[in-house]
Amino acid sequence: MALLKVNGISKKFGGVQAVSTFSMEVEKGKVVAIIGPNGAGKTTIFNLISKVYTSDTGSIILDGVDITRMSQTDAARQGIGRTFQNIRLFSTLSVLDNVKVACDYKAKCSMVEAIFKAPRSFKSEKAITQEALRNLEIVGMADLANEKPGNLPYGLQRRLEIARALAMNPKVLMLDEPAAGLNPEECFGLVDFLKDMLVKFDTALLIIEHRMDVVMNIGDKIYVQDFGKNIAVGTPAEIQSNPAVLVAYLGEE
Amino acid sequence: MNVTFLIQQLINGLSRGAVYALIAVGFALIFSVLKFSNFGHGGLISVSAFAGYFFAGVLKFNPVVSVILSAVVGALLGVLLDFIAFKNLRKHKSPSIYYFVSSITAGILFMNVLTIFFGTTFYSIPPFFSQPTINLGNIIIAKLDATIFIVCSVLLAAVMLVINKTSLGLALRAVSMDADTAKLMGMNSNAVVTFTFLIAGMLAGVSGIFLGANFTVDPFIGNMVAKGFIASVVGGLGSLPGSIAGALMLGVIEVILTTACGDIITPALIFVFMLIFLLIRPQGISGKFIQEKA
Amino acid sequence: MSSFLLSLITFSAITVIGVVSIFPLTGLTGLFSFGQAAYMAIGAYVAGICAVQLNMTVIPCILIGVLTAGLVSIIIGIPTLKLRTDYFALISMCLGEAITAILRKFSTVTGGAGGLSNIPNYVGTTAIVISAIVIIAIVACFKNSSFGRMSLAIKNDELAAKSFGINVYSHKLKVYLFTSMIAGYCGGLYAFYIRFIDPSMFGWTKSSEWVIFLFFGGINSLTGSVISAILLSVLPEFLRFATEARIVMYSILILLVINFRPQGLLGEYELSLESIKKLFHKSKKLQGGGNNGTT
Repeated sequence: MALLKVNGISKKFGGVQAVSTFSMEVEKGKVVAIIGPNGAGKTTIFNLISKVYTSDTGSIILDGVDITRMSQTDAARQGIGRTFQNIRLFSTLSVLDNVKVACDYKAKCSMVEAIFKAPRSFKSEKAITQEALRNLEIVGMADLANEKPGNLPYGLQRRLEIARALAMNPKVLMLDEPAAGLNPEECFGLVDFLKDMLVKFDTALLIIEHRMDVVMNIGDKIYVQDFGKNIAVGTPAEIQSNPAVLVAYLGEE
Repeated sequence: MNVTFLIQQLINGLSRGAVYALIAVGFALIFSVLKFSNFGHGGLISVSAFAGYFFAGVLKFNPVVSVILSAVVGALLGVLLDFIAFKNLRKHKSPSIYYFVSSITAGILFMNVLTIFFGTTFYSIPPFFSQPTINLGNIIIAKLDATIFIVCSVLLAAVMLVINKTSLGLALRAVSMDADTAKLMGMNSNAVVTFTFLIAGMLAGVSGIFLGANFTVDPFIGNMVAKGFIASVVGGLGSLPGSIAGALMLGVIEVILTTACGDIITPALIFVFMLIFLLIRPQGISGKFIQEKA
Repeated sequence: MSSFLLSLITFSAITVIGVVSIFPLTGLTGLFSFGQAAYMAIGAYVAGICAVQLNMTVIPCILIGVLTAGLVSIIIGIPTLKLRTDYFALISMCLGEAITAILRKFSTVTGGAGGLSNIPNYVGTTAIVISAIVIIAIVACFKNSSFGRMSLAIKNDELAAKSFGINVYSHKLKVYLFTSMIAGYCGGLYAFYIRFIDPSMFGWTKSSEWVIFLFFGGINSLTGSVISAILLSVLPEFLRFATEARIVMYSILILLVINFRPQGLLGEYELSLESIKKLFHKSKKLQGGGNNGTT
């Protein structure tokens, strides 16, 4: 059974149909990629699945749970983890705190206990710090724990965003253009890194990407979007030889 | 309760609303172009009220000249306000809430400087009209209120015209949407912003002298800018015509509540009204609403 | 110690409690409220009325004042925290005026515009200073906990915060309750210290003062809030100006900070064990140039 089942979701903004009747299935341990020209509605799909927007139609089922009408917060707690097209790290929190804050919602300590430093607050804080450090070690950023995200190079900021999302132990990790701004060498590193994460975190990966070397390398299944509509679904080989896809990207002859 | 009484209340409400509308338009202009609530506007109003007293009361100029001169004073003060409170914030690209705090501080500064020089005495602007009211049957309309209403409408129309129909207005709208891109397109963003403060200051200047004529000239008369804020929110933040509608609505409701419940408890009732209004229709009368994109 | 100095210390401590009370709300969570003085008013008046009309002793009076402030904050918070930040700021401003209006209206109980006087019993400078220290400690604990982090996340990026499981609305309510109860406590102490209170003391200008002091010290720094509150309470007294000139002076000071150092006096600096250690190591290095090993 698919881990994430999206059935006919859509979104209209005023007169513009940003996404029309999109359906998708993501299996555990697999990588699904959404590609398409700019303005195709890819990030809107992410926003619909992560409940930033509510879909006009259809349903979204995550691991058997219907999250279609859930709030963004509840969907996140159910297991939707994500990064953003424009990096949205918490700028006044340190690198470590950025990861810790992803664990804070399940802290086993009330506010009263926190402000009066009851024993449970010490335990809770220690547990969260350890979990966050572990995540930073896995992505190789533990030595930067006390840095501010704004001081990090772009590539590391992107990696921190991923570490932060992984700290939620998501069932599906959605990455919005993880390779943006990376040079070809860094892209290879990203592919290896993502493959490693898939194994270590037992999650499914859903990515939006423009870089074909990344998509074709790591994608198990690819959905091609254009003007809000789905124009093709298939393996990398199938997509590469699909005429409709070529037309959408390169135009008619 | 007869019809005449109700109509009189309505007229009183609209008169008060017109005064608020004058304030609201200047406030709403800054909000729609520069995207923040400028409480310094109150400081401009207070100083302009005193300027109005100076021109009409001391120099004994006629009302029309006094209003024009107050408008000029207001315009210059507007530019000064930008210089001391906001210019450097733009340079540092500070978050928008800093503008709010800076504006409140500047407003407090202006009003307290006035208090130092003029705190202890009562000043009043000599009446503009020898016959202050028009009587329509049993209904009384104050000429000053009617004048304010007309002036406000004319000013608003003029401002809307400039914003929507001139190239300067186009520049203003471009800068309000994206100052950096506007700069890259060759517009002098800073000049456009200065011009906006010039206009807003001019509106404050007119508000100040009319408020001073309507009430008394007091350093803290500018605190009525809070009414302008309320009117803008009720009307729909960012909409100039909306803020006028909001102001009129506020004026009428205030008058009704004061008549019905007394003026002591009215602020509390206005609070409840505002709360209910914002919960039912957060986009205000004009209906502008922005959804954040991820 | 002269009574002038004592009263200076006490009023500074009261201001510190006020400014520190809004630190979690405004500094950490980014919610601008110009009505927190209303909760100080509620705390002060409820405590004062309990003492004057019901002859209760200090501690129960203040406790009831704090709980009332908390209750009102929940009632107000539930609808208003759903609104956008600017609307919330506006409503908070109106709240102050609403509370003042209510205090004036029910004059048989509150003394109306003339104020509530002859509040019996007395809370001394020591109790107030100790209170201030305890409250600073509590707020520091808040900042360094999960709740402090979640607040900062909400301030930096509310939409992203939701994606990390943070229930933004309920968190804001908790912080608002916390903040308002501290303000209520501040009011209770104030009432029993000066033993006369009237509605005009708690208007939106007082609330604005707290916000402005917070800014001056550095919106991200608790240490900054404390230092700023003390400095801006004490400085004018030593200059012996009239009240209006004092307000002008600190407005100018704040405009200077906003223009030339918008991150506030202390920026993000916090006094903590680590920062004290760093200072200590720095001065050791300057003294002996010895090999102290790594910091």
